[in-house]
Amino acid sequence: MTDGANNVNENELKETTWDGFHNWLYCICVVTFDLELGQALESVFPRHVALSKQQISNICYLAFPDSNSGCMGDTTFIIRLQNSQGNKNLKEEHNSYNSKCPTSLQIDSSYLWGYVYFRQVKDVTLPRGYFQKSVVILSLLPFNNLFSKICSYIAPEYFENGEVSLEALCYNIEQWPPPVPGTTLNLPLLGSVFQTYIPLSNNHTSNSTLALLSEPGDNNQILTHVEDLNLFEILQPVLSHIHLLWELVIVSEPIVVMASSPTYCSSMVLALTRLISPLQYCGDYRPYFTIHDSEFKQFTSKVHGPPPVILGVTNPFFAKTLHHWPHTIRLSDDLGQSQRYKLKKTAPTKMVDNTPGVFTAYKPFLQKDKNIIKKIISGVNSKRPFEAQSALLRRHLLELTQSFMIPLERYIASLMPLQKSISPFKAAPTPQPFNPDNFFATLEAAGPQLTLNNTGIKGDWVGLYRKFFRSPNFKAWFNTRYTELTLKLQALQLEALSTADLKDWVQGRPEVEVVDMVLKIKNKIHKCNEHDIPVNERIKEQLNLRLSDIISSLPDDLKNILQVS
Amino acid sequence: MPQVRSNVMKMLNDEVPEDRKITTFQGPYKMECTPYQQLDFTEMTYRKCSEEKINWLKLSKMIIIGDVSVGKTSIVNRFCRKIFDSNYKSTIGVDFEVEKFCILDVPFCLQIWDTAGQERFKSIAQSYYRGAQVILLAFDFTNIKSLCNCRTWLNEALGVSSSLCPFIFLVGTKLDLMSKTIRQNMEKNIMKAAQQLNAEYWAISSKTGKNIDKLFCRIASLCFDNSIRNEFQVKKQIIIGTNLLSSNENANQNFVRKCEGFKCSK
Repeated sequence: MTDGANNVNENELKETTWDGFHNWLYCICVVTFDLELGQALESVFPRHVALSKQQISNICYLAFPDSNSGCMGDTTFIIRLQNSQGNKNLKEEHNSYNSKCPTSLQIDSSYLWGYVYFRQVKDVTLPRGYFQKSVVILSLLPFNNLFSKICSYIAPEYFENGEVSLEALCYNIEQWPPPVPGTTLNLPLLGSVFQTYIPLSNNHTSNSTLALLSEPGDNNQILTHVEDLNLFEILQPVLSHIHLLWELVIVSEPIVVMASSPTYCSSMVLALTRLISPLQYCGDYRPYFTIHDSEFKQFTSKVHGPPPVILGVTNPFFAKTLHHWPHTIRLSDDLGQSQRYKLKKTAPTKMVDNTPGVFTAYKPFLQKDKNIIKKIISGVNSKRPFEAQSALLRRHLLELTQSFMIPLERYIASLMPLQKSISPFKAAPTPQPFNPDNFFATLEAAGPQLTLNNTGIKGDWVGLYRKFFRSPNFKAWFNTRYTELTLKLQALQLEALSTADLKDWVQGRPEVEVVDMVLKIKNKIHKCNEHDIPVNERIKEQLNLRLSDIISSLPDDLKNILQVS
Repeated sequence: MPQVRSNVMKMLNDEVPEDRKITTFQGPYKMECTPYQQLDFTEMTYRKCSEEKINWLKLSKMIIIGDVSVGKTSIVNRFCRKIFDSNYKSTIGVDFEVEKFCILDVPFCLQIWDTAGQERFKSIAQSYYRGAQVILLAFDFTNIKSLCNCRTWLNEALGVSSSLCPFIFLVGTKLDLMSKTIRQNMEKNIMKAAQQLNAEYWAISSKTGKNIDKLFCRIASLCFDNSIRNEFQVKKQIIIGTNLLSSNENANQNFVRKCEGFKCSK
């Protein structure tokens, strides 16, 4: 046998395609503190992954705490950065993943997620007496829980045993099955197996099979949800302002979260973006952002005003640069149970003032539901488990968002033209235009107040909708729905065409019109295959039959040309 | 809930191919060369399996260790994929396979971690050894030095998984390259070594497949019986999802770790 060589030779390494690895991760980076250079990229695994200069710079700064506040020992946090790599086309596995997973877990090819494990400990053997290093897992997948756990598992191994451990575990990951929603996945890594489950888009049942298949107490088998935010624990200090925050997030107001550690600000930013679930938050957001980031200038510009972004920051310098931002949440160093933040109308005084709180002059359109807040706060006193508290909070927010969206869903469905306006011989009609005033007219009979009548929430719904219509959240939602409607209309028109009597239609038509029709149908069949027009195979077959119907009516010379082209 | 579980068990059961269904306990290669004298499943195992009281998927972890190029990966490939190729590339770090069995109508999984024999991976091997219930020490019949090194390999592995009491197998590979007489001469020494290592001795060939299936059935039988005994003898409290909660707690601790006084290194 030939595996006697003590060094793995180059050819063998090249044999690995890394296809399996890239289904899950983009790469793993090690960032160190170089006494000459500051933060510097030490190594990237697998070795072939090339990062752009700007990406490297951003990763390096985002991998380390950005302030003088400390973080001794080990710190974990989550970052999100622009994917500046040229190739934004998703892999086939990722497209199929996106079509099956819930929207909140979908891949956005413009951004990479980073899961950071930072270690800072005294080490007298080093020149400055400190060991400072980060391991960063970069991935397109927003699996905050799974990847944070994996990072917490592999980083200490790496600090202990060096690069060979990262090299070896990349080969483990290369063998992982692709991330398919709806299946239980076993992911072997460094002698343990992570068992996880990616939910399906329409499946709201919990992952019961996950708990079922494994014996408790077996430390080689690590069960974990891909995504899991303890909403209650994170939002607890701002709980009494939860409805105000929900409004700020749904209308995509700029928000900055200031904290003493990237751990705190990153989890708060993630929690804020989840407040409006199942609606996708479509503004930009950076769970942790530094003054060195390539988008620092763009975000802090006073000329253009604050963009619709949620930023998490730790550097006190931001108190000055983002002084003009309208909404600030300042987290305290002590995230104790009893902390309850006050609402303040003015921006935090620069630098000196460290009082935690929610700083905003925003006047909410809705009144808050004091009952739910009371209910959750009473759970704190009665020591209700965090999971139950989070579930209560999540359900309340879900009801609120759904009540807000249902009238819009209903209205947009009414923009569909009547069936009789669809003709086999004309282009598919377009949906009627979205008219805010028509929408507002529906509110009285079917507004959110109807579904929310057992809560205390009431107020100026029209005002809130108007503000929402100007937000990226609305634009993204509207575009998705509008595209769905358009495709549906095209499908209906194709269906009509597929059963139309074209032999009759060609009678007495000028040849040029008939040829035009042939080309149109061909074009439509082509579009069907290209786009996601929801038509079934039977209709496609029938369309092809109709096509031959017309072609057969044409003179032979034309027949040949049309059949070839 | 038990009903749901047994359905899942049944589903798992149906996936297992015929040659992975075990109904009789596999004995050792040589009765005189094993520390494990067990020849049948314990009565409790028979009883629990027939009562369908097994709610957890039984799972055991096995590691294969030994010198470079003794044929560790070949053992796994012969068993899991029924293939043999004398030109395997060397393992980088560790490979992983899961093999499903069905023992007395109960599903059982064997996790097989196939490690690299190279020196430069030794530093990380420790993490892969953790919690192994089976240690397979592989040596090459045609390379006697690889047998001598088994003691070192075992010590390293036991250093990590010492809390458990793993089953140890000493497995000679490339049996097809040996004439019968030479092997019989060698066997006296090998069996002595096995005794010192407190291991059960097997001789196999991945090329011809000789004894491979028997060896893995032996491993599966012993592990399965052992894990059922562990589950029912020790009255441990079993709560669904305990593992999930506890690992969450750890994560939270890390997550909420406080920042204390920054020492600026500039």
